[in-house]
Amino acid sequence: MSGLGFINPFGVRELPGTTTGDFYTANFAQKAQPGRVILNLGPQHPSTHGVLRILAEMEGEYVWRAEPVLGYLHRMHERMAEVKTPQQFLPNMGRVDYLHPLAWNWAYVGAVEKLAGLEPPERAQWLRTLSCELNRISSHLLWWGAFVMDLGGVTPILYAFEEREKINDILQIITGSRLTMSYFRLGGVCADADDRFLALTREFVPYLRERLKMYRGLVTDNVILRRRLEGVGPIDVDMCRRYGATGPVLRAAGSPNDLRRDVPYGTYPQHDFWPATGFPDDCFGRYLVRLAEIESSLDIVEQAVRGLPPGPIMVDKPPKANFKMPAGETYFAVEGARGQVGVHLVSDGGKNPYRVKLRAPGFSNLSLFAEAAQGTLLADAVAILGSLDLVIPEIDR
Amino acid sequence: MLRAIIDNLKGLYSLLVGLSITGRFLLSPQRTVHYPRQVVAPESLASFRGPLELVPSADDPAKTRCISCQMCVRACPDNCLKVVKGEGGKAPAVWVYDFSLCCLCAACVEACPASALRFSHKVYLTALTRDELKLDLLADLKARAAKAAGGADARPPAQPPAGLEPQARL
Ligand code: SF4
Ligand code: SF4
Repeated sequence: MSGLGFINPFGVRELPGTTTGDFYTANFAQKAQPGRVILNLGPQHPSTHGVLRILAEMEGEYVWRAEPVLGYLHRMHERMAEVKTPQQFLPNMGRVDYLHPLAWNWAYVGAVEKLAGLEPPERAQWLRTLSCELNRISSHLLWWGAFVMDLGGVTPILYAFEEREKINDILQIITGSRLTMSYFRLGGVCADADDRFLALTREFVPYLRERLKMYRGLVTDNVILRRRLEGVGPIDVDMCRRYGATGPVLRAAGSPNDLRRDVPYGTYPQHDFWPATGFPDDCFGRYLVRLAEIESSLDIVEQAVRGLPPGPIMVDKPPKANFKMPAGETYFAVEGARGQVGVHLVSDGGKNPYRVKLRAPGFSNLSLFAEAAQGTLLADAVAILGSLDLVIPEIDR
Repeated sequence: MLRAIIDNLKGLYSLLVGLSITGRFLLSPQRTVHYPRQVVAPESLASFRGPLELVPSADDPAKTRCISCQMCVRACPDNCLKVVKGEGGKAPAVWVYDFSLCCLCAACVEACPASALRFSHKVYLTALTRDELKLDLLADLKARAAKAAGGADARPPAQPPAGLEPQARL
């Protein structure tokens, strides 16, 4: 193995006849060229947001080859869906992606409703849109702070958290929790919006618009950030298509795909918004796309508060504990903060689904990292990783 | 050349803008709640899902409305409830809730035909062992009733687990 010129960054002694590191490192190192360093980023590393691990073959400061290693947070959500009734599995969806739980709520509830032919009442639909968009804003805000922190600016995340806490306060009124929300139910939602919720939301929209201006002065216009991001890690539409990347990554590449417009669900056809496009396809473009999306989500929230119709929040006969889905197969996808969140559900007519496949947008978005990071500086690779907005529990499921 | 100078000046200006924003926030009042010196206002916990508690019946605050029908036990995805019916009548004799397993999904609350369950707003509950999180909700209900009646808290003071003396807990 000495011919590999393998340098171990952690100083673990090399056993005769083996390479240091685990199976992945050894496997990855086999293709490494002499003189190159194998670098492990993660699984516990401040720049990788949770337990993601990246193996990189370094030529000096340049990444020659990179490979994500997944599975450290695998929690068998798909298997759990097979052994639990749809109602019992619902709280899991908030745990798959803890930053945008309501999109996952919607994807699963939507799939079951589509199969069972349930049509939630109008008010429930509007509440779903309203809460889902508020949640999207909070997800983007956290991404904004964490991304800037990846790049070395530690303060902005604290500003982002102030807004995030406000959204959490608002969403807590209806969902009862601040992080892993489980608000949607088969055939509706579990709690109605009260006056306090609506008043706080109305207050929040202009407040955040003001704050976004401050963000601009604090971070977006900052010359250090711009020089750090502009032109780094271009990802074009073709690459997105090959890897199945969706969401802000695809929209920054220039394709205006947004499921809220392309395959409208819920009340989105009644809302006046447009997917954010027209940005550069580099890291800075992906940064701008998300900030623009916060604004378009604010518009939707404003319209939803204004247009919220009165009425029930649950179908007349909500599914009981012994609810059985009809046999069949369905797919339902929604636009999450990171892209297309899809649930493929197969039912054999029993109480539990036969098979549930969760399509996590982060998984596809991460897949293109290996190609996008090729030949970049290590520091730029970290910027690319951050600009993909990865949530590891969602990727590993 | 001139371009580069202008770019750099603009860059410098952007840094000054950022610094002035940070400076403004430095001088603005504190935004955080310094627990335990401060706690959040009770109204912001109004719908917060804390550990479950039993709803007292209308006539006796120490009595539960639970009719031991087991709907909540069956609805719970995490198997954290145990309800055992008492001798004679429908009232439960045992009502144990394992908060360490609960995912606060409200399936039990929604399944209960007697509306005997609700979420408490105990956000400051702490425990050193998993066993401490197995909550006896009937005892909790009685303690709350005793407290409301003006008596002292009927619950025995929390005992640290064996081997962990109070001084060592800091
Ligand atoms: S809230 Fe959910 S997990 Fe907790 S006891 Fe009730 S049903 Fe079980
Ligand atoms: S569902 Fe309600 S009444 Fe039935 S056992 Fe549970 S708490 Fe008691």
